[in-house]
Amino acid sequence: MTATLTCARVRVLLEAYVDGDLVLRDASSAQAVREHLNSCADCRRQHEQAVSLPFRMRGLRSPAPPESLIASVMNSITPAPATSRRAWGLLVPEAILVAFILWYLSGLDGLTALASGAWSDLQGLAFWGSGVSPLPSIPVADVLLLGAFIALTALAAYHLSVLARLEQSGMVHLREQRGA
Amino acid sequence: MHAQAAADALPMTGTPDSRAIAAGQLVEQATGGNLDAFEELVRRFQRRVYGFAYQHLRDFDEAYDLTQEIFVKLYRNLARYDAARPFEPWFWKLAANTTINYRRRRVPTPTDQTADRAQAGTESTLPVHDPALVDALAQLDPAYRLPVLLHYYADLPLEQVAQSLNLTVPAIKSRLHRARAMLRNTLAESEEAGTQ
Repeated sequence: MTATLTCARVRVLLEAYVDGDLVLRDASSAQAVREHLNSCADCRRQHEQAVSLPFRMRGLRSPAPPESLIASVMNSITPAPATSRRAWGLLVPEAILVAFILWYLSGLDGLTALASGAWSDLQGLAFWGSGVSPLPSIPVADVLLLGAFIALTALAAYHLSVLARLEQSGMVHLREQRGA
Repeated sequence: MHAQAAADALPMTGTPDSRAIAAGQLVEQATGGNLDAFEELVRRFQRRVYGFAYQHLRDFDEAYDLTQEIFVKLYRNLARYDAARPFEPWFWKLAANTTINYRRRRVPTPTDQTADRAQAGTESTLPVHDPALVDALAQLDPAYRLPVLLHYYADLPLEQVAQSLNLTVPAIKSRLHRARAMLRNTLAESEEAGTQ
């Protein structure tokens, strides 16, 4: 003889009953649910709903993904070529500056003169620093050229470090489109 | 874009078939930098992931965004995948975590949006399969909806759902039972309302 159950109690146990868990856990309760269902039409309807629900959920249809989804994902994980191009574009000012200096100095002869001039200027400064000779008079143009070279070197070093970082980040350059 | 997508609706259950083993190989190749392998991986999982995201968010654009985010996260975390373990539980765990984080960031909630649109009379006119069930699912708390979708939509066994959500199998069973009871009640109420 099994205990009778109220409708409310049966409905709490229905899912476990449908899955077969209740009979394993508490066979007498499972028997009581079975007997209740035989005599209660409302709970029988709930039971039918409980039985059909997993099938309805498995049969539920979802929209197909838009065709652009794969391309969008792949764009998000591959480096944007435009970024690389922009990065290399950083070197344009250096290239212009170098071209200008070469043009100004009229080629190799000018460069040699510049190098020997800069060397003698540095020597003069060194002698002045050690107290051997008075402060040399350095042409303003040489000072400007030296400053331009220092600026050029610093700028190129910075831009090359940017390019190196881009290379290190490799192909995983994520373009977080949502900006989250 | 989405109208066509809805017209070409798919069964909710995408069965994980024998390609599961190949998926592991694809992951290995993708981890080595093979983008073609990763693209194939996306191709294989996109329907289930997009459907999962759509059923969870009930919004085409957000489902698109979430799906994309899941795959991007997959790519970024490929190196963390242990090839000795099955791929799908690991992947769906990542998908579930991404979904939870996505939901935390977004305001308002999908249920709110659905309600707002319904109130404004601008609810999508796209055909919805089993609308009563879809609405009932949307009313579920995400803590219950997620295991339901992973088990019945993504077709993961209980053990894998438990792994994906960092819960025990009995806890997942309990949630699924409660979720189904809530769905059953909601469906019964909507049927009663429909007959009155």
